[in-house]
Amino acid sequence: MIYNVCMAVRAMQEATFMILTALANGSQHGYGIITDVREVSGGRVRLRAGTLYMALDRLRADELIVVDREEVVDGRLRRYYRLTPAGAKRLADEAARLQAHAAAALRRLNLAGGMAT
Amino acid sequence: MTDREHLERAYRRLLAWYPRAFRRENGPEILAVLMADALDGQRRPGLAQSADLIRSGLWMRLRPSVPASARTVRAAVRLMYAGAAISTVNLILVLAVTADAKVYHTVLGHRLTAAQARELNLTTLGITVLIVAALIPVALWLWMAWKTGQGRNWARGLFLGLLVLSAQHPVFGAVATEHPVFGVLGTAGIREGLVPVVFGPIIPVLTWLVGIAAVLLLELRASGAFFKSPGDGGPALHQAQMVELARIRSSSARWTRQV
Repeated sequence: MIYNVCMAVRAMQEATFMILTALANGSQHGYGIITDVREVSGGRVRLRAGTLYMALDRLRADELIVVDREEVVDGRLRRYYRLTPAGAKRLADEAARLQAHAAAALRRLNLAGGMAT
Repeated sequence: MTDREHLERAYRRLLAWYPRAFRRENGPEILAVLMADALDGQRRPGLAQSADLIRSGLWMRLRPSVPASARTVRAAVRLMYAGAAISTVNLILVLAVTADAKVYHTVLGHRLTAAQARELNLTTLGITVLIVAALIPVALWLWMAWKTGQGRNWARGLFLGLLVLSAQHPVFGAVATEHPVFGVLGTAGIREGLVPVVFGPIIPVLTWLVGIAAVLLLELRASGAFFKSPGDGGPALHQAQMVELARIRSSSARWTRQV
């Protein structure tokens, strides 16, 4: 049980968080995830194909995402992924955790003399 | 050959770093993403892109494919990697001590008599046996971690067997005291299995504790679901996953034939 708690509390890697965020809007294919993550992060997070598919493989194994459907566009395979309920919950938990941390940081900075403004 | 064909071929070569099963399932899709991300007129993969593919390809080969749901198996596989790490420390010790004794013998000269050198087994053959005997546990631990991670049921049994065999380790018997330093090794051979040859009891005892913990984890009821009956390959998948996998395989095979 202690192990469970550790697993839940452990921070998610940024790439994983961003991939799940990209899928929170509906199903996406690999390249769609890359462009969406770039957009959401204001160009700061640029996923590479190797990293992306390593993360997707892990997320599928952990049943946080599943393959939604496949299409062939211009002779190229497009596989669409979507969040599972477990994946959505994991993302929501992680977002809440990050939000709590960020709120605490901002609150303290404001109290310390409005440095955040 | 056009620029794009040239680039695609280079990417295909890079994908060879991935395990075959993964490549068969995801290769066409990764290739599609790589090509979509390519700049106009690009003929060669960028350095960072290549490094990323090689890094993740190697990682996919090495890391255990145990899902988070099989926690006990995951922990056992991690312990096995810890066992490999301990055995590696032992290997380094063996190399250091051998080099040291060799220097003492040959460079500083004449301090060891031929009989002493023989007793310490400082011949080329002796040293080779020594190093091989230290390499075997490292290889065994890694192999066991790999196969257990793949959900091979026989790996569970074999791991237990190797651990039992290792109970004959000299550190637990009288042999250890017969010779001062390398004595153990004269008779060591391959017998120690998972538990490495060492000087002093710390490493064997540590290795043993790790081994026993891993066996206990693997024998838990929670671990059973991950392992399939002998003969079947791969970790146990849920029915839905199996269906999905079959569908994906056939469609990607079809697609590969098209191109």
